[in-house]
Amino acid sequence: MQESSNPLAAIVCQNLQTAYLAALQRPILNRVNFTIQTGEFVALLGLNGAGKSTLLRSLVGLVPIYQGSVAIAGMPLSSRTLPQIRQKMGMLFQGGGLIPQLSAVDNVLCGRLGYLSSWRTLTGFSNRDRRHALELLDTLGLRELASQKTSRLSGGQQQRVAIARALIQSPKILLVDEPIAGLDVLATQQVMETLAQLNRDGITIVAVLHELAIAANYAGRAIVLNQGTVIHDGSPHQLSGHFQTQA
Amino acid sequence: MKDLKHFWQRAAWLRHLLIGVGVVLLYGWALRGLQVDLELLKTSAPYVADFVSRLFPPDWSVLDVAVKALVETVQMSLWGTTIGAILSMPIAVLSARNLAPRWIQLLANLLQNLVRSVPSIVLGLLFVAATGLGAPAGTLALSIYTIGYLAKFYQEAIESVDGRSLEALEVSGASWLQVAQYGILPQILPLSLGYTLYMFEYNIRAASVLGVVGAGGIGFELVSYIRGFEYPKATTMMLVLLVVVTAIDALSSHLRRRLEAK
Repeated sequence: MQESSNPLAAIVCQNLQTAYLAALQRPILNRVNFTIQTGEFVALLGLNGAGKSTLLRSLVGLVPIYQGSVAIAGMPLSSRTLPQIRQKMGMLFQGGGLIPQLSAVDNVLCGRLGYLSSWRTLTGFSNRDRRHALELLDTLGLRELASQKTSRLSGGQQQRVAIARALIQSPKILLVDEPIAGLDVLATQQVMETLAQLNRDGITIVAVLHELAIAANYAGRAIVLNQGTVIHDGSPHQLSGHFQTQA
Repeated sequence: MKDLKHFWQRAAWLRHLLIGVGVVLLYGWALRGLQVDLELLKTSAPYVADFVSRLFPPDWSVLDVAVKALVETVQMSLWGTTIGAILSMPIAVLSARNLAPRWIQLLANLLQNLVRSVPSIVLGLLFVAATGLGAPAGTLALSIYTIGYLAKFYQEAIESVDGRSLEALEVSGASWLQVAQYGILPQILPLSLGYTLYMFEYNIRAASVLGVVGAGGIGFELVSYIRGFEYPKATTMMLVLLVVVTAIDALSSHLRRRLEAK
């Protein structure tokens, strides 16, 4: 397996370009370049349609890459390496991406599916996996709600179940798409504090955010996208002027 | 041209008027095709009244025959719906926009349309020819008839599954089978069970019609009495059917509501 020359780099994007979109008259992502080091907390910012979510999705193989390259923890992203790369990464989808009819603990256990054969999971999960899932829910303050269907949980609780699902994979990198969309102040704080703690524990975090103040509070670096290209890569502070000039 | 387009966009009243005229013309055209004779309708009322009066009072001496035939109808519907539901699931998966490749979707949809376009009574005749008179023919006919509808309902349930939740499983490395078991099945189960219950209830009525061509069930007895001008006995059959259909409708509606609440 070909390894990248930078052993500290968690994510390296070089001239990343997705397919041309006729409606936009441009590719959604157009020659995106950046390197994210292991242990960073990076906020991805930009107006609606700037390509933030597409960028996250392209890093886990959900959006085909038309040109350029992506390397995750030194491993070039390709259809052959995708299963190994997905084991290194966790992703939190906007709204959680949970199965509403399953209980919180069963949703967390779904994060183990990639490590177990289809035959093995046909009859469910082992007691060891179940105990681990319950421990994670306990850590995130959801032990009491473990057997509740996720459709009955609040937005903030659902996001924390989604975090537990990602954590059961023991990811080195966590991609987070708008984790606080639609949450109240308290839930926002709980979710962001959880992400900050995970970052302190050594997990690299790349989060799509909309609020500049939240980005400035929690992230160590901001990458701002506009019309599919990177227009700012650096400090997450004092970005408001930058957005005013765009509008 | 631009002015005309602008006027059309702004003149909502004109659009509504034209739609109204269009609907009236459509219904007028359909009525003309029916060739309804209003004079005949006026004079036919006494004949209808005479027919209805001959249905009453019901002859309860055939109650045991009615109950036995009805039990057979329910048994036909139960097995017909179950076999049809099992066969519908793979067809629905192959027809679903979010699961199957385009060419397989087209073939599976063609199969669904083919099954749906054959009337139940024709299926009844076909299976009577294959297996002889009686309930087995009716059960097989109901199974095939069920596929035409349940495959479509299941397909729509599958297509309405939240795509992000499936992507989340895909990103965690789940196989296709695991995505189906843990992602799709829990999301479609309440809706699909509701549809299946509705189909079971509907098949009891459909099974009654199949009896007309000798495919078993209460319809067979019903038609025999009508053909023999034993209308009070036919009324008993219909009343027993009404009671059972109403009871099953109430039970099935209750179960569907409970499933939808989940």
